[in-house]
Amino acid sequence: MSEVIVITSGKGGVGKTTTTANVGTGLAQLNKKVVLIDTDIGLRNLDVVMGLENRIVYNLVDVVKGNCRMKQALIKDKRYPNLCLLPSAQTRDKTSVTPEQMVKVTDELREEFDYILLDCPAGIEQGFKNAIAGADRALVVTTPEVSAIRDADRIIGLLEANELKKTELIVNRLRMDMVKRGDMMSIADVTDILAIDLIGAVPDDEQIVVSTNQGEPLVGSDCLAGQAYANICRRILGEEVPFLDLETKSGVWSKFKDLFKKN
Amino acid sequence: MQQPVVLKSNKYGINLILNDHMEFKELLQCIIDKFKESEGFFKNAKMAISFEGRKLTQEEEFEIVEAITENSSVQIICILDNDQLKEELVRQKIEQFEEEQAGRTGEFYKGTLRSGQVLDCETSVVVIGDVNPGAKVISKGNIVILGALKGNAYAGANGNMQAFVAALDMDPVQIKIGDVIGRSADKTAKDRKKKKQPVEPVEPQVAIVKDGNIYIEPITKGLLNSI
Repeated sequence: MSEVIVITSGKGGVGKTTTTANVGTGLAQLNKKVVLIDTDIGLRNLDVVMGLENRIVYNLVDVVKGNCRMKQALIKDKRYPNLCLLPSAQTRDKTSVTPEQMVKVTDELREEFDYILLDCPAGIEQGFKNAIAGADRALVVTTPEVSAIRDADRIIGLLEANELKKTELIVNRLRMDMVKRGDMMSIADVTDILAIDLIGAVPDDEQIVVSTNQGEPLVGSDCLAGQAYANICRRILGEEVPFLDLETKSGVWSKFKDLFKKN
Repeated sequence: MQQPVVLKSNKYGINLILNDHMEFKELLQCIIDKFKESEGFFKNAKMAISFEGRKLTQEEEFEIVEAITENSSVQIICILDNDQLKEELVRQKIEQFEEEQAGRTGEFYKGTLRSGQVLDCETSVVVIGDVNPGAKVISKGNIVILGALKGNAYAGANGNMQAFVAALDMDPVQIKIGDVIGRSADKTAKDRKKKKQPVEPVEPQVAIVKDGNIYIEPITKGLLNSI
């Protein structure tokens, strides 16, 4: 009963890759067998965020073209033995793979893994079509900005048109202080427009930048974003997890941090 | 042997090619059978009819039409001669009929229209859901949205200025009725900020054309009577 999940957004820079890395690592922490596929051919960076760049020998295009076996291209994560990465090619473009070939790849991986996460490229062209071809479920990532929401809305429409019924929303980069001031849309505003189920809200967190630069996903750490990602993973498994109270915690947390900064 | 009757469709309806060598009674039965056979295909179709291959008296023509309407759900709007001039006239009549129907009949669309999606209807339409920014509803008749209109709506797409657009939450990017286009007021930063404060409950509104401009007004009994 493996599940293929595509992480997509339409707009670039909203946190698809970061979400893929953290959700994948989080599911691995919950003892699931997980493989991450970077479908952003030509602009690969999931490997960098995972800190596995130096291990790449073969990539997705090699697997599709039959230059190597699947086993050879899969990179085992350095922290979790049950987590693998199938990196994308850097020197090719999106047309090197067709949706049919992606379905074949995901079907092959279904036999061995519980969760197959597809990191989708930005846009709605070939790369997007490849990424959603083999997916059972989609996580749509958006930030509380009109441009990101507009693109997410388009993406949800396209997912529906492709009969991908299970579509859930992640609102990323929330800043509760700005929401409170009325300078940023709240989670309710976003879900009101997009009208799909919310599976998680992740606060804007400096630690994310640090963790992506270091190639160490922060899921499960005690910062708010890490907890938010851990909760998303549990919800993916079907658990009922209450949403983090970002407001009070971020308030206390920032005050706490401010206290230290002053000293 | 020549078939008793062959159905051929053209732009405005169907053409019946009839056998010239049969008894009329027998032929009539064949036509009835033929229409019963293709009942599912024609289902409630409104069409013009024309005859070919056999000279019919007016009584015979009427008899055939009556037999078809009685034995199937097809509605015959008129009988057509195979004649260019008449064809043109009939075309106009049918288009006019469709235009009238556009305002009077309608269809439902259930679901949220998302950015990039376009709903194009020949008749009036009721959308049960939201029309999001970047989405578009086009109708030759009226548009009613049981939800929020945050995208584009184009009512009376064939130039009908009497058409209207109604929505439970009226916040469109653009509304076009007939040939008149209205766009939303540019929001200032202040307005946007204000929106975040608890807003007054939204009320259903309707957009109509008055003196060449689009007006959006709350739905009241008086207003509804005037449209």
